[in-house]
Amino acid sequence: MPDSAIVVHNLSKVYGSGDRAVRALDHVELTIPTGTVFGLLGPNGAGKTTLIKALTGITDITEGGASVAGFDIQREPMEVKARIGWVAAEVILDDDFTARENLWLQARLQRLTNWEPRAEELLRYFSLADRADDKVSHFSTGMRKKLEIALALLHQPRVIFMDEPTIGLDVSTRRMLWDIVTGVHKEFGVTVLLTTHYIEEADALCDRIAIIDRGRILAEGTPSELKGRVRADIVQLELAGEVDAAVLAALPGVQEARAQGNDWVVRVGSSEAFLPQLLAKFPPAAIRRISVEKPSLETVFLEITGRRIGEDEPMRDVRKFYAQMQRVRG
Amino acid sequence: MKPAYSAFWGLYVREILRTFRNPFVLIITVVQPFMWLAFFGSSFSLLPASELEALFGASNYIQFLLPGVLSTSMLTVGMFGSMSTIQDKRFGFMKRILITPTSKGTVFVTKALGSASRGLVQFPIMIGAALAFGVTFHVVWWEWFVWIFALMLLATGFCSLFLAITARSTDWQTPGVVSNFITMPLMFSSAALFGSSHFPAWMQAISNVNPITFTALLGRSFVLGTATDWSYLGYLALFAVVMLAIGYFVSSRWLRVE
Repeated sequence: MPDSAIVVHNLSKVYGSGDRAVRALDHVELTIPTGTVFGLLGPNGAGKTTLIKALTGITDITEGGASVAGFDIQREPMEVKARIGWVAAEVILDDDFTARENLWLQARLQRLTNWEPRAEELLRYFSLADRADDKVSHFSTGMRKKLEIALALLHQPRVIFMDEPTIGLDVSTRRMLWDIVTGVHKEFGVTVLLTTHYIEEADALCDRIAIIDRGRILAEGTPSELKGRVRADIVQLELAGEVDAAVLAALPGVQEARAQGNDWVVRVGSSEAFLPQLLAKFPPAAIRRISVEKPSLETVFLEITGRRIGEDEPMRDVRKFYAQMQRVRG
Repeated sequence: MKPAYSAFWGLYVREILRTFRNPFVLIITVVQPFMWLAFFGSSFSLLPASELEALFGASNYIQFLLPGVLSTSMLTVGMFGSMSTIQDKRFGFMKRILITPTSKGTVFVTKALGSASRGLVQFPIMIGAALAFGVTFHVVWWEWFVWIFALMLLATGFCSLFLAITARSTDWQTPGVVSNFITMPLMFSSAALFGSSHFPAWMQAISNVNPITFTALLGRSFVLGTATDWSYLGYLALFAVVMLAIGYFVSSRWLRVE
């Protein structure tokens, strides 16, 4: 097995042409080590799904190349497809079929021989064995997600692509899915490429993360390495009266102080060192609220892109989810 | 690894099972033939047998009509095959299929043959309905199997045609629009409902190359026990093979995934 499960070199994807051309991926360079859970973190429209589509052969690429599980995606697409699994953002199962029949169909599509023992093992692993002969239209969302992951694992793939697997799920189902992803990775030793725009999800699940925005990979590393890039804590203050920025900037350890509405956003080297200085300068009655944000993937994203990950698109996320639901319901 | 027919068989069985597990499709499949025979088939019921014989070569219009209605119903089979493909695109199932080592060509062939097979369900229902209306048949079993085979060829051709036309579409309405565009001229310019000998010359020219005519005349010769022109079977085979080839070519290159 190659050291790198996925190698992407100079990959670009342009939709349309001329004035209406949209560059969804812009010279992406990426290496994903075998056996890792790798996260692609970025806002909606960043290019995460397009990258998965390109790597799984669902869409053509405009420029560059890539290999998955040691096979070139353009020259050997069928070899790649025999070695990958896929978990969609929306659950895609055949609702008229039972869980076992869905597994049978997947085995047929993957041209598997002697697939039944593996299917039984997966049904047991995902606690679906006692519902294996029920139509999946009667399953809960969590059970449907589990079955979808079982389908992706049936042919013992080397790489699983999970495209925003928790979008639209409630908190408890999302947590359950996190446990499943971690468990699957450990139990089956498969490389996972997961896209998400949930920062806490990337932080909780991924060994390595690439931050993608507007089709470009902006940073890549372990969560700690990325957090290490932001050498500052963010302190947000709401003060009772008017204060000059220079007063805050003069406090020891302050790197930057800027007003944001009624609040002050202060970047400091260490919040632990800064807070006593602040309290010494201002009496408690002058401070209405203090919040401290330690280096996180959120602040990393902010540092790299100049904006928060969901800042300009809260409705877009909702719209995307409902568009998917509408599509599924016809 | 199993050979490529593994995926073909999986998708083919899926097509068939989905039909039989959908109560609405089954109800329509059973009711539609009765409606045709009851409403359209009864339109000449008050004509004396001698006039029916002179006009249609049969003592009962339903006896004449049955092979034609079965042939034209293969047109709607094509529409349903096309709608099933669009459903797979919209539900994301096409992506699930094509992320496995299954080619677009395999998907096309299974859709075409699966839909065509599904259409044949109407054969026994239609025969049963005709019997219920008191129709008698000239029965030579092997000829009836040839008739079923001819219907399968016709359905395969039409399914391929519909799938090729709608390969790029993800709009639910497209198959209906295409169907409206294709069905009416093909149905009325064929010998399915009436003999073509009373058609004007230009319509006769169309009827003479219309695959619905070939299937209707072939089936009618079996039902009435008249002389059979076996060249119709050859034309139908050619129609099915050419349409399959065109559909395979179009789908392999242009079938949209979503």
